[in-house]
This record gives sequence, C-alpha cells and structure tokens, in this order.
Amino acid sequence: MTEPAIAVRGLTKIFPVPFHRQSITAVRDLDLRVEPGEVFGLLGPNGSGKSTTLKIILGLVSPTRGRTEIFGRDSRLVESRVAVGFLPENPYFYKYLTGEETLRFFGRLCGLGGARLRERINELLDLVGLTKARKQRLGTYSKGMLQRIGLAQALIHHPKLLVLDEPTAGVDPAGSREIRDLIRDLRHRGITVLLSSHLLAQAQEICDRVGILADGALVREGRLEELIAIENQTELVLENASGTLLNEIEGLAARSNARVIERRKSTTTLERLFLEATKK
Amino acid sequence: MSNEIDNLTLERFDASASARPMQTRHRAFSLARVRAITVNTLTELTRLKVFYVLLVFALLLIGSSIFMAQFTFQQEFQILKDVSLGAMSIFTSLLAIVATARLIPQDIEDRTVYTILAKPVPRLEYLLGKIAGVLLLLAISTLVMSAVFVLVLYMREQAVLHTTIRQMSAAPREQLDAAVRAVRASAFNIDMVPGITIIYLKACLLAALTLFVSTFATTNIFTIVVMAFIYFIGHLQATAREYWLQAHASGLITKIFLAVVALLFPDLQAFNLVDDIVAGTAISLGLFFKTALLGIFYTAIYTLLAAFVFYGKEL
Repeated sequence: MTEPAIAVRGLTKIFPVPFHRQSITAVRDLDLRVEPGEVFGLLGPNGSGKSTTLKIILGLVSPTRGRTEIFGRDSRLVESRVAVGFLPENPYFYKYLTGEETLRFFGRLCGLGGARLRERINELLDLVGLTKARKQRLGTYSKGMLQRIGLAQALIHHPKLLVLDEPTAGVDPAGSREIRDLIRDLRHRGITVLLSSHLLAQAQEICDRVGILADGALVREGRLEELIAIENQTELVLENASGTLLNEIEGLAARSNARVIERRKSTTTLERLFLEATKK
Repeated sequence: MSNEIDNLTLERFDASASARPMQTRHRAFSLARVRAITVNTLTELTRLKVFYVLLVFALLLIGSSIFMAQFTFQQEFQILKDVSLGAMSIFTSLLAIVATARLIPQDIEDRTVYTILAKPVPRLEYLLGKIAGVLLLLAISTLVMSAVFVLVLYMREQAVLHTTIRQMSAAPREQLDAAVRAVRASAFNIDMVPGITIIYLKACLLAALTLFVSTFATTNIFTIVVMAFIYFIGHLQATAREYWLQAHASGLITKIFLAVVALLFPDLQAFNLVDDIVAGTAISLGLFFKTALLGIFYTAIYTLLAAFVFYGKEL
C-alpha cells in the first residue's frame, strides 16, 4: 500500500467564541485520504469547513483532536511543507512587488537562488502567461492575473502536492479554463492536487475523487464517476440520426421493458459558447 | 482560451518539466529565509508614505533649529542639540511603533501570511525577518537624521568660528586658540555617539514590544493605542516605582511585582540620555553599556515573547 499524499484521521476543530460559553465546531471527526497523483476535490457550501481543513493540513491552524499527515509527516512540522505548494482563496500578495519580485521572494523562502531560481521564474511566468507583466507591480494586476501569479508561486519549488483553495473563484471563464487545464496537466505529471471549491461543474471536470463536507462532517466521499453515476440509466449520443431511426430505437426500448426518459437536441456548454464568442 | 494557446502553454510547461526537480534540503533554521523576509519587510516599509512624512518632518525640525534665537554660541549649540536629539528620539520611537504595528495584522488581513507560512518557513523565522526589517529601517532613519544633525551642527560651528576669528583678530594668539577650542568643544562632543546609539536602541525596544502586542491584537489601531499607553507609562514608571518602594517594604513579593511591571512597562526614562548630552555632562562608559544592554535585552525578550504568542496563534 502506497503512502498517501494526505492522511487525515479523526480530525476535529472547535473554535471557542470569546466571552461566550458556546463554541463553533468547524470540522468534526473527519477521515480523509488523498492518494499520490490524484486530483481530490473538497466540496461543500460556504462555512462547511473546507478552508479550516486545508489550513489544518498546512499547519496554519492546530487541530482540537485528530491528526493530519503529508506524505507520512505530521503536518504540524515545518518540514512537512517542503514539497507543498499552496494557493489561498483570493490571494493578495505584496502590492509593491512586481510579478518577478514576488516569485523571487517565494523562491528564496523555499531555499532557491541564483541561476536556478532565475530560470524557474522565467519558466513559470511563461507558463502562467505573465511574461509581459513581469515588471508590473501586483497592485496593477487584475484578479485573474493575481490568481495566476499565485499559482506560479505555489509551483516555484516543484511541489509534489498542490493545495488550492477555491482556485477559480472570481476569475473570468477564460482564466478559469486556463487554471483547470493547468491542474489537469499537473495531474498528468504526477502532482497530487487537493482543491476546495463550491463550483461543482468545474470540480466535476477535473477531480478524480471528491469529498463533500456539510457542517464540518464528511457526508460523501469517493470516485467521482461512481458517486454521480445513475446505475439504471444509460446515455446514447447519436450524430445524423433521422427521426425514423429515433422512433425505431424508442420502439425497441419499449419492447425490451426499457424506457426512453428524455429525447432532446445535444447542446454545447455555456462556457464553451462564451469562450468561442470571446476568442481573440 | 483557444486550444491553440492551451497547447502552447502546456508544451512550454512540459519543456520545463524535463528540468531536474529542485530538491533542496530543509534546514530547521535558515538565515537566507530570514534575510528574504527582512529585505521584503524593508521594501514594504520604505514604500509607506508615513515613513517619508515622519522622516521629512524630523529633518525639517532638525534643520530649522539653526534659526532659533540665541544669546551665546554655547546656548545656540545647546538648543540645536536639544531640539535635534529630541526630534530624533521622538521620531524614531514613533516610526518604530507605527511601522511595526501594521506588519502582522496587514499580512493576516491580506492572507500573505498563509502563503508564506505554507512554505517551509518556521514562524520564528517569519517574525525575526519582520523585526529585522523594522530595525534596519530604524537604523537607516537614525543615520539619515544623524547626518543632517551633524551637517547642521558643523555649519553652525563654522559660522561661529568665522565670527569669533573675525571679532578676535586683534587678540593675542593664545586667546584666539582658546576661544576656537571652546567653540569646537561646545559644538561636537564624543558623547553624541552613545547618545544617538541609545536613541536607536530605545526605538528597537519599542519596535519589539509593538511586535509582541501586534501578535495578539487584531487591528493596528489597537496596537498603536496600547503602545501609546505603554510609552507614557514607561516614561513615568521609574518615578512611580521609587515612590512605591518608599511607601512599601521591599520584600520578595514586592520585587517580583516590580519585575513584572518593569517587563510590561519598560523604564523608557532610563534611555533618556539626551539631557546629559545637551548639558555637556559626560556619559560614563558603564552607564552607556548598562543602558545599551538593557535595550538589547528588552528587544530580545519581547521578540521571543512575540514568537511564543505567534507560535500558538490560529491563522
């Protein structure tokens, strides 16, 4: 059995409310396992405990009970974060730094320097499409550009695990598509991705497995196709089918005790329509 | 985004993927990481408008002391030193509090602290980098203010020397030499160096204390208000302590109580050597080292306390 990229066991986080007797349970008895190389989506409505769980995994918040590990190391230890890249929700970074200076700063925090760091900065600026804006201060960046420089800083030290908190929140469809393509590419290169999102359609597109949190508890968890499959239904998409053929198929289905539930024209997605319409 | 662009982007990434993965050995403590945070903090602070406003105001005050009314050259130099060193003391203290108060709350509000601490950066290194950035800024400010102060003092000294030589042109050589020596002695004296060092160390202490307060404060306004109280109490506590000691027997409990008070409210009056310098009283080497060590001790203690609180802080 391989060592999991992330292992969460019996995790509970209770936040005391100052000057009140009650407390808030943000996460309750959470067990989670993220395998190396997979994209795992932590889904749930606002306030369901997604960000708290991510913060505990990253050692930013301490658990009330339970244990979290990154590649077998207790995530409270600083060295557990050596191979981890993190992009927080709506990151702000230092407005007075340029894109290049931002990557240099985070690279140095990861122990990089010299020609190696310079090369890596060039690679990443190229990757996230910010080469032209490298000398521009972050104060002048759009939200999408900030998200992309955020992703670049998370990748600066070639992490084995990438933790993304709402990576496409507030980003326009083109930027969002770019980020999702990048996540898919990271998976192909063997990088584990843990992301939180409440944009379900997007999560469905890129995640291998998902966990759904509600009120701090994990209510569903598993491989995406297994979770969303309807066991007794099958989709059949035909091209250039005549009305006669379709009627015959319906008749055939009726004769074999099956039922055609819906018959409609295939449609494109609104996102695809938008991207085609705004394509430069 | 078109598929064409997608493919281009991914091809570039694949090309970069062929590079050797960066394996850097994690060190429990790294000066390089502290230095990166220090440089960044210094850059952050030097981009603040408040820094330039305070510095320009202090420099104007030091510069304007040249025009103050005086009767004799001794009085002139005395006023110049009094105003300049006073301005340096107040502005470095103010800068230390205002600059430090915003560092941590701002990083938490902007979530930059998450990005930094999600890297393999221990919280102690983060705090050390922050405080070192402030101390560097204070050192630069103190040096700039000292340079302007010395320049103003030198210009006035030269003007007074010219006047003296002109007025005493008919006087015997020994008398003229004595007058020149007197002018030089009242303009520059060696005690100005330890005096300015102590002003800097007092600002360092206040910066470290502000950092400590800001680790449990949620806004920088709260930190500044608390620091304003500590600043005033710190200047009064020595007098209050003496009065209290006179009224109560100095038992063990009293000593412990006073030690706690002294830790919470450092005796800032002990760092006020400006009056002695202005009056021309020599600062003994013993007093200088004692005060300097006190400043370094307080700065270290408050930084460690800040690290202790920040270590357990939920971000």
